[in-house]
Amino acid sequence: MVQVSARAAKWLFLGTLVAVSLIPMAWLVVSAFKTTPELFRSAFSVPHHWSFDNFRAALDAEPLLTYFRNSVVVAACATTATIVISTMAAYALRHRFRLNGVARGFLMAGLLVPLTPFMTPIFYIIERLGLYNTVWGLALVYSAMMLPVGFLIIRTYMESIPEETLEAARIDGASFHGVFLRVIVPLAAPGLATAAIFLMISDWNELLFANLLTTSPAAQTLQVGVTTFLTGYASNYPEAFAATAMAMAPTILAYALLSNRVIDSMAASALK
Amino acid sequence: MAKARQLIAYLGPSIVLSLALVVFPLGFIVVMGFTEWAGLGPAKYIGLQNYVFLYHDPSFRSAVVNTLLWGAAGIFVQTPLCLLTALILSRRPTMWKLIRTLLFVPSVVSTTILALMWYFMLSPEIGLVNGTLTDVGLKSLTRSWLSGPDSAQWAIMVPFVLYIGFGMVLFLTQISTVPKETLEAAQLDGANVWQQDLHVTLPAIRRSIALWALFLVGYVLRMFEYPYIMTDGGPVNKTMNLSLYVYDQMVTANQYGLAMAAGVVTVVLGALMMSCVLVVLRWIEVS
Repeated sequence: MVQVSARAAKWLFLGTLVAVSLIPMAWLVVSAFKTTPELFRSAFSVPHHWSFDNFRAALDAEPLLTYFRNSVVVAACATTATIVISTMAAYALRHRFRLNGVARGFLMAGLLVPLTPFMTPIFYIIERLGLYNTVWGLALVYSAMMLPVGFLIIRTYMESIPEETLEAARIDGASFHGVFLRVIVPLAAPGLATAAIFLMISDWNELLFANLLTTSPAAQTLQVGVTTFLTGYASNYPEAFAATAMAMAPTILAYALLSNRVIDSMAASALK
Repeated sequence: MAKARQLIAYLGPSIVLSLALVVFPLGFIVVMGFTEWAGLGPAKYIGLQNYVFLYHDPSFRSAVVNTLLWGAAGIFVQTPLCLLTALILSRRPTMWKLIRTLLFVPSVVSTTILALMWYFMLSPEIGLVNGTLTDVGLKSLTRSWLSGPDSAQWAIMVPFVLYIGFGMVLFLTQISTVPKETLEAAQLDGANVWQQDLHVTLPAIRRSIALWALFLVGYVLRMFEYPYIMTDGGPVNKTMNLSLYVYDQMVTANQYGLAMAAGVVTVVLGALMMSCVLVVLRWIEVS
């Protein structure tokens, strides 16, 4: 009897969590097809006819495709930059030298410092560099913001490459750079891919600095773009629903295709 | 043997980037927190006046209290939910992989979109929450969740607390590293499933739990989307938090000096919260 109710409680618990994770999204997508009167009539109703009018209207109201392109550029550039410089740093730290511990501690310390209190100086730096209101300024800030996590994932992975492999390459006459390009990079590639997925998702999703460092649609990301539907079109719910659903679609689609890789990559960021 | 020049070339970019966008800003806000500055023109040294202002500002007090509240909600509500789910799924019940995949969906969607979605969910007229309450005959419980002074702060924490995918996956990975033999030994000693979880698995992953708590503290200090999108800090600053306060002082009020002083308080508060987590961990390790 106790066992039966424990099992029931377990499934009720899991079922509730799954429902909370999925029902709001499903509701949002279904609602995006409704007209305003339909939305106000009942939260549960199914749209009378499934038309894409709201989606078309949302695309007309805001340059969502431009926002999307900007998000892709920012996330791709920032992720590449973070991967390249953290791989280089992790490789350098495989060598023994006096300040090794200090350098490693310095790079990891960033994990504990949130960047939001630094809004003003970062804004100031980006403006001085002439990168205010550009995708490049955002990409630069994101590459620094994600550096500690990228470094952590890559370093953990790189430690699994045995020293003998590097030694063998050196005996064959490979230089410092040669070992990096021909041994480290190929062997660490799976780790780099893991890190890239994690960084991509984080860069893609950032809102605060995107809001702070861009003002015109030519440089704004998708996250900033969708929030304009709330401020500018508060009364036009269907359009806002449609825009939110569209902004959500690419990530959900990518996840549907790669869910196991994505989960593994998130798990790899686990601090050891 | 690697030469110093080569090491510098490989370490240089990461060190320079961290110096420019972490260390320099940290020094900058500490110094400029003592000034009055509107971003343009010279800054004026005003001593501790910014900090005195913050101390007396009800909106800032609300920001500090709510930031601590977010942290507490993360550590005492969200984390246990993550752990419980991970413990259940680690026993590989039917469809455990599917459940893991589904629970993780909100973790890949941006917080911006989750915040917008829950803004709609909690809308008094068209939201699913009030709609459901009305349809099951609990119309008396419906309310304007996000504009009620008593409900707003709890309402914006709902998605944060219930979306457990990330933590669950991390704990699940850690639990899988607990040696099977230890669990079997406990089982032979007559421990039931719950006792095994409580006395073997949880102590074995305590460091991961503490590190997760550190991560949550950092996350909560960065937390911006939920208050910014769902309530904009309102009603009457009831949902203000530190990130939004710094943002508002800088972007809306153009009070750069004050924004940076608030930033310094954020850094200090973060360090204190993280120290608490580490002290608790040490205490657990010793006892």
